Amino acid sequence: MHSDLMKVRRDLKTVRDPYSGNEYVVVLPIMPDVAIIHAAKGSRSGEITTDATRNDRLLAMAAKKTIAVVEEIVEPEAVLPGRQEVFVASVHIDAVVLAPVGAHPTACPGIYETDAAHIREYVAASKDEQGFRAYLEKYIFGPEDHKRYLEVVNFRGGKQS
Amino acid sequence: MTKPTISNQSVQPPEVMISAISRLLRDGEWVATGTLSPLPAAAALLAKMTHAPHLTTLIYGDPDFRLSEGFHELFALAQKGKIDVFFLSGVQIDKQGNINLSMLGDYNRPTVRLPGGAGSSMLSALVRRVIIFTTSHNQRLFVPKVDFINATATDDAPWRRGGLSHVVTPLCTMAFDGTKKEIVLESVFPGVSLAEVVRNTGFDLGIGERRIPIMNPLTDEELAMLRGPVQERMRRIYPQFAALVWGL
Repeated sequence: MHSDLMKVRRDLKTVRDPYSGNEYVVVLPIMPDVAIIHAAKGSRSGEITTDATRNDRLLAMAAKKTIAVVEEIVEPEAVLPGRQEVFVASVHIDAVVLAPVGAHPTACPGIYETDAAHIREYVAASKDEQGFRAYLEKYIFGPEDHKRYLEVVNFRGGKQS
Repeated sequence: MTKPTISNQSVQPPEVMISAISRLLRDGEWVATGTLSPLPAAAALLAKMTHAPHLTTLIYGDPDFRLSEGFHELFALAQKGKIDVFFLSGVQIDKQGNINLSMLGDYNRPTVRLPGGAGSSMLSALVRRVIIFTTSHNQRLFVPKVDFINATATDDAPWRRGGLSHVVTPLCTMAFDGTKKEIVLESVFPGVSLAEVVRNTGFDLGIGERRIPIMNPLTDEELAMLRGPVQERMRRIYPQFAALVWGL
């Protein structure tokens, strides 16, 4: 309440708690129009398991529409969360997209790690307009599909299919 | 629609109610049922297997309905506006469509204390349509004025999305007239007389000069689904109800 945030964030308001009489800072909930989350497993009925540390279930519940990108499609009975995973019910998911290694160059915990070399390449490429365009052409617009993208980035490891 | 056959003679009262509720559900709707709601649950399943294949059914107690954590998620879905239809009942229902689930008599010295309104107040305001179902039809249930209001049929709350749509009883269907803001009789079930409905209702049903239709009997398709796949699902969701109605 006494931070400088109150000076710059006009959306932060204070309100008196009618129970205690104390003043509190309140903020409107964030309701994204669309959330895109990455998940390890999903089923055709729309339930998924996802990494527990990333609050993706909260995101799915907050968004008006949620698209889950999954590493693999399994039978509904097999959508069971492992350690460090949570289950997200199909009522919170609007679409499931099958895209193995869909999180690349970031990680899908337990399946593949962050491709640090690729991220370094991206950071270097994004320093100027020309380098960024070349990056987009080589990795984003060039490959005709995701499979080809994974070949171009020389992806190894994980459950590549 | 296929024509009803002789088999309708063996149709039981709960089956007529299930069919009546099912016909009120529209294709594409998200339909949620709460605790102790076997009739609406069976109706939602029947609707999905007949005229509303794109219905989304969220049935409390259905082993095939998985939530992430618990039933509180249903309230979050209602807040987001994702639930189209929810079902309520009451120990008293009045002409204005108010329902009482709390107690009879004076609140501080009730003659009967009931479990209470649960989520009825919040859900009735946040879903688009409420369908009230009752398992009896008499003047103790349908009263001129409820002793306590747990949920209103409609009001001017700024967050309200919809309100009371219909009331389905063992004798008839009633509709909520949004202009008059009153419950009016819509149809009576086959074999039920208008006089029987009027005699058992403690308020004026707004019949006037209207000719009240008799609900169309169950179609062969409805009966086949009800006595087939709906029964099978109900056996797992509401085993006691399935045993009571169908002897399963």
